[in-house]
Amino acid sequence: MDTQSRSIPLISRGDGVVIGVAVALLLAVFITLWQPEGHGAEAVVYLNGNRWARLNLFQNQDIKVPGPLGISQLQVRDGKIRFVDSPCPTKLCVHAGWLSQGGESATCLPNHVSVQVLGDDPRFDTINF
Amino acid sequence: MTVTRIIQTTRDDHLIAALTALAITIHIAESALPSPLPGIKPGLANVVTLLVLCRYGWRMAAWVSLLRVLVGSILIGTFLSPTFFLSASGALASVLFLGLLHAFSKTFPKWSVGPLGLGIAAAMTHMTGQFLLAYTLFIPHSGILRLFPVLLALSTILGIVSGLLTRAVLARLNDNPALT
Repeated sequence: MDTQSRSIPLISRGDGVVIGVAVALLLAVFITLWQPEGHGAEAVVYLNGNRWARLNLFQNQDIKVPGPLGISQLQVRDGKIRFVDSPCPTKLCVHAGWLSQGGESATCLPNHVSVQVLGDDPRFDTINF
Repeated sequence: MTVTRIIQTTRDDHLIAALTALAITIHIAESALPSPLPGIKPGLANVVTLLVLCRYGWRMAAWVSLLRVLVGSILIGTFLSPTFFLSASGALASVLFLGLLHAFSKTFPKWSVGPLGLGIAAAMTHMTGQFLLAYTLFIPHSGILRLFPVLLALSTILGIVSGLLTRAVLARLNDNPALT
């Protein structure tokens, strides 16, 4: 059995080392994992099933995609993309909102336009627990 | 004539059983508490592990920690569920790392790591172990990595708490001559 001194120091020298390492580790983890990800984040716009454009999502711009029904308007802002307007009755594509994660997509079926965010690590379609 | 086989149990076995029972009780009581984030738990049961490590050495601490996870999960009903594997991987990682620190403390008594350091190290390795398992097995998506810094920071804080608790309990046990 360990014969310990009766009084235990609050912070021993070894504890100091552990705390130092812990703080350094936390800083390192925060710095490496909390960086704004995906400077190369890109999206692909499809028109009539063909690749129509490839967009850099960090280049803010508004795009007009000429589909069979009319013009679908896309908006790119700070790593995100969305449908602003589309000449379709349901506006499902507009309601899809901003897309930013790799693999996310929005489609305007009536106007044959779809957008998919590219990512080396596409998100799951569904997750079940 | 019937042959009865008696399994010889040692004093250590009894101690392990009693301390594991204590740890399981805390483990179950704790599992009833609501958790703000999956994977975050006060980890008070780990206080028992740290206590055993400081008083009886690593071998017994490993027994208590791993038995606690096993029996605790069977009693709660999470045995072989994701929760169990997360818990087990965390416990395994932290027990192994505690062994490393314990051996280090013995070889370099001047730099020995006390309850506070052990608590922090145990909590952080526990979190890292279970996070790595969650990331590789259950949710291999890079988005979950963003959660890691927060979880690790929270686990550090909880590790400090459990370290301080361990120190307080140790001091009391050391003051009691009947228990030394």
